[in-house]
Amino acid sequence: MSDKILYGCAAVFNTPDEITHAAEKVANAGYKKFDVHTPYPVHGMDDAMKLAPSKLGYVALVFGLSGTLGALFTLWWISAVDYPIVIGGKPFFSFPAYIPVMFELTVLSAAIATVLAMLFIFFKLPNNSHPLHGTEYMKKVSSDKYGISIQADDPQFDKEKIKELFETLNAAKIYLIHWDNDELNHKHKILEPKFLAFLFVVALISSGTAYFTLNKLMFMVPFNWMMDQPKQSAQQKSLIFDDGFGMRNPVPGTVARGYLPYQFKGQPDLAGEKLVNPVPISNESLKLGGQKFDIYCSPCHGYHGDGASRLRGQFPNPPSLHSDKVRKWSDGRIFAVITDGQNIMPSYSTQLSVEERWAVINYVRALQRALNAKESDLQ
Amino acid sequence: MSSSSIEYQKKDLPDKIRLAGFALLAAGLLLVIAGYLVNPARAAFNNIIGFSFLVSIAVGSLFYVAIEYLSGAVWSTPFRRIGEFLSSIIYLLPLLLIPLLLNVDKIFHWTHPDPADKTLVGKAPYLNVSFFVIRVIAFIVIWALFHFLIARNSKKQDSKQDSSLTAKNIKISAVFMPFFTLTISFTAIDWLMSLEPHWFSTIFGVYYFSGTVLAALAAATIFIILLNENGYLIKGIHSDSYYSLGALLFAFTNFWAYIAFSQFLLIWYANLPEETFWFLARWEGGWKFISVGLIIVKFLIPYIGLLSQPSKMNPKRLLAMAGVILFAHYYDLYWLVMPNYGKGEIIFSWNEFGFPLLCAGIIILAVFYKSKKENIIPIGDPKLKRGIDFRL
Amino acid sequence: MTAADFTKELSVIEGKPALRELDELISKPLETKPNKKFYIALSITLSLFSLLVIGLGLTFYYGIGMWGNNNPVGWAFDIVNFVFWVGIGHAGTLISAILFLFRQKWRTGIARFAEGMTIFAVMTAGMFPLIHVGRPWLAGYLFPYPNQHSLWVNFTSPLLWDVFAVSTYLTVSLIFWYVGLIPDLAILREKTTHKIKKVIYSVFSLGWRFSNRHWQHYEMVYLILAGFATPLVLSVHTIVSFDFAVSIIPGWHTTIFPPYFVAGAVFSGFAMVQNVLIIVRKIFNYEHIITLDTLEKMNKIMLLTGSLVGYAYAMEFFIAWYSGVEAERFTFLNRALGPYAWAYWIMITCNVVSPQFFWVRKIRRSIPVMFVIAIFVNIGMWFERFVIIVTSLSRDFLPSSWAYYKPTYVDAMILIGSFGFFFTWILLFTKALPVVSMAEVKAVVDGAQPSHKEH
Repeated sequence: MSDKILYGCAAVFNTPDEITHAAEKVANAGYKKFDVHTPYPVHGMDDAMKLAPSKLGYVALVFGLSGTLGALFTLWWISAVDYPIVIGGKPFFSFPAYIPVMFELTVLSAAIATVLAMLFIFFKLPNNSHPLHGTEYMKKVSSDKYGISIQADDPQFDKEKIKELFETLNAAKIYLIHWDNDELNHKHKILEPKFLAFLFVVALISSGTAYFTLNKLMFMVPFNWMMDQPKQSAQQKSLIFDDGFGMRNPVPGTVARGYLPYQFKGQPDLAGEKLVNPVPISNESLKLGGQKFDIYCSPCHGYHGDGASRLRGQFPNPPSLHSDKVRKWSDGRIFAVITDGQNIMPSYSTQLSVEERWAVINYVRALQRALNAKESDLQ
Repeated sequence: MSSSSIEYQKKDLPDKIRLAGFALLAAGLLLVIAGYLVNPARAAFNNIIGFSFLVSIAVGSLFYVAIEYLSGAVWSTPFRRIGEFLSSIIYLLPLLLIPLLLNVDKIFHWTHPDPADKTLVGKAPYLNVSFFVIRVIAFIVIWALFHFLIARNSKKQDSKQDSSLTAKNIKISAVFMPFFTLTISFTAIDWLMSLEPHWFSTIFGVYYFSGTVLAALAAATIFIILLNENGYLIKGIHSDSYYSLGALLFAFTNFWAYIAFSQFLLIWYANLPEETFWFLARWEGGWKFISVGLIIVKFLIPYIGLLSQPSKMNPKRLLAMAGVILFAHYYDLYWLVMPNYGKGEIIFSWNEFGFPLLCAGIIILAVFYKSKKENIIPIGDPKLKRGIDFRL
Repeated sequence: MTAADFTKELSVIEGKPALRELDELISKPLETKPNKKFYIALSITLSLFSLLVIGLGLTFYYGIGMWGNNNPVGWAFDIVNFVFWVGIGHAGTLISAILFLFRQKWRTGIARFAEGMTIFAVMTAGMFPLIHVGRPWLAGYLFPYPNQHSLWVNFTSPLLWDVFAVSTYLTVSLIFWYVGLIPDLAILREKTTHKIKKVIYSVFSLGWRFSNRHWQHYEMVYLILAGFATPLVLSVHTIVSFDFAVSIIPGWHTTIFPPYFVAGAVFSGFAMVQNVLIIVRKIFNYEHIITLDTLEKMNKIMLLTGSLVGYAYAMEFFIAWYSGVEAERFTFLNRALGPYAWAYWIMITCNVVSPQFFWVRKIRRSIPVMFVIAIFVNIGMWFERFVIIVTSLSRDFLPSSWAYYKPTYVDAMILIGSFGFFFTWILLFTKALPVVSMAEVKAVVDGAQPSHKEH
């Protein structure tokens, strides 16, 4: 027995009145490190033990408020800054509609924080190696007795005196409680092989499950049914039509909206005569034209239309767009070149819509004008 | 009987309270009469505020008395007489009602609807003057009847100390509850909602109820604290009883906010023109500030003021908050009523002071005279001892 | 009836059982092997549960076309069941939180059980919005997280508020429940002699020591949690009511919905708690812990909430007429006289009429009668949601799109199966955890608190 370290001296009582009285006496005697253990909270015990009021209310307040404000900030940022979209004619920042979510997050964060703070910061739980655990004393106070214990590290601790005090208070039984030496000397090793094996298995299972779910399960019936849509895709074989083609020709004599056929194929001069640029020169048209020119035309004709491109010397040199010939061409004539192609230049009708072609022409005109600026342009 | 161990000596309230009550009453009356002479329509609108305020105090207090019987609460038993005194204002309600009934056509648009207005014509079976008057009178008679029955039994108990009287009052209170719910809802619809006869909201009765319970409780709290701190109540009342008052005030403040927010959110969200115009009228011009002020006065200040546990036990803080809440109910009624009188700009001048002063005078005098005639403590109540010993 | 004695507080626990006896009695179901009756009950609930599994399997495999939902009636059994089960859950929080704030000591006997029911009911309820979206495995998109589409959820939608409300509610209820369980688990830890059980109880009781320095904070936290849970429980059903009320469908858009839904939820929840408790107290011999007085008080609350619901029905009807809006007037007349009039009158009879019997004291204290009335209330409250959802949708603004809704066999299987799911959990709960809070019950036994003396 002597090699065991004393934790404290404890006594159990039979009635709530006795324990309240005992707690008062112990507190009045000036003991600081003592505690009362009761199977349920006994009213008036906090006063008897002279405990200060609980500070957990502040934890709830702080985390509750941060939940409110955090929610408000997040909602504002999401709906008014990062992803603003008009819903139901409401403003981006619709404060009344945020109140429900703000409230829920207030409650959530306050409730979680308060409980975690109580269990892990205030009580320093989990703690199953406290000397009181596994004692007869604990068995009694958990059921129907009321206990009080004074710790050995209390400055006033004196075994005999305390025993005497408990006896005068009519204690039903008095215990001496010791630290469990095994528990005191036990050191937890983090790198125990068993623990490492456990970690490894957990990692294997979780990553395997994630892989299986995301890469296999989601492609199985019925989860893949959204991928399987009963519709005809381009280039697909058709089971409906006799010729087996999924893509169909338009009905003879009809024209698709927005796809008026080009009438001057192979007749560039006629096109130059008949076609008129319908797109007026404007900021937007020049911007669009410039963008498309830089993408499709500049690789050969160069950014300034002078033919100074990366391709110079590797091909028959692309002609400059600043030649007299091109300058004198009508817009329609240039349109014919872009649409049909010329010499080695292919058709760009699939890359550029009609509108974009005209915009490019406007831009080419601007480039030409820039190289041959007149004095009047300065004004 | 444990009441033998209760020491209670009846003390009359000082005379200066009566003086103050009469001063308020006189000043209020003067302003009211002047108001009616200068601008009868405006005075009548103010009269509605005053009337519904007193209904709140009187009928709300009766509700608390009944709830105490029904729930078997003990902490409030030592204060129950305050509720009984305040609810005796029911008998004085006709005083404020008569000028209103004389001016019905000035305040209610539905008394003379445009024949082309199909909606209003369709409401005529409910909104017509004779049915309206019948309802108002019937409601006051019902309230007076229940007040009479409950207060009589309670008073009898002072001398007889018979616990079967408590059992009787529990039954009367139970019967009172459905009557209370219906009368208070339809009072709200008749006097406050029908001021804008095109507007409708199913929660409106609950909204007025939430304000009513707050105001009645706040008024009772003010009297309880002032009387108890100055030794007119019984000895031994613990701060835990104050805590209960504060907790209820806090709870009902939240309840009011919940109801008000529900009503606003649903109308704001659905955005139907036949409903939104009512809120728009309270958001245009200066009324915007009154609306924001309502949230601050009726929710934020009491909420923050009563949030912590110690603040509910501190008599000074509790008194201040009860004062704010009582004021806020008057303010709330002003917000409900006055935009119907003048849209766009705030209506506020000396005309608006008459009725608050009059109401304050009536409340103070009612409590003064009742407390002179009766015990301020229900000394014969079997729950009294437990009420005094009450601990959380 | 003899005149009641108002001078003394009534005992919550009948008789004056020794504290140790209470421990023994409450922990008995955990220490004995389940008997035959338990297995019979479990096999019934599991077979009902299997109906749910089959119904859900059919739904997942073939899609929600297996349900009776049609074009105007896009919300039907799925949402009816959701609202019904969330409502059932509300009684638990009400008992554990609101009655705690009101210091109603009679709650102690039933609180643990009711909280457990809350959790199971919310779990059952949570299933329905998930299956309602059609592809529940993609439900992760309901939560706002920075995803690869750089899309955010719509925070102005009440359906999203529901996601937050229901998940917060489930989390906070679990926390509340667990905090209440810690001392009981510690009691079991000290009592048990079984080695594995001892480890489990030790882990989950976190090494609770019954220290008063802990009880002090513990009671504070309980108060705080109750303070948060009270508005939370209101908010949950309020937000459920917003799902309907923020729209402009006549019969849905009405401002009284929030408090009316809350009252209805409490009403149905109490009825369900009542039904289950009557059986539990009989089987486990808890008659002196869950007393007749407690049941009577619950009946009073049912009378109160039932009447409030009746008030809301009446007010809706009156204002529909008063509003002068044609669509509103039609909707309500249609409810009472239209094709779904049978559902409406079931609702009125069960919800408004049947609880009125509780005005009579004899009926309030008669266990068979209250059991039947509670079942009626459950039926009525299910039909209430059916009436609200289906009648309003089946007759909307355009007469050309009117249609009659009929559930299919899959709908029926899912509804019946949800009861199996719920009661399976309840049965397992009664064998796994103490269904009455030992620590709380001990605290309200006569003589458990120091006598009031000025020291």
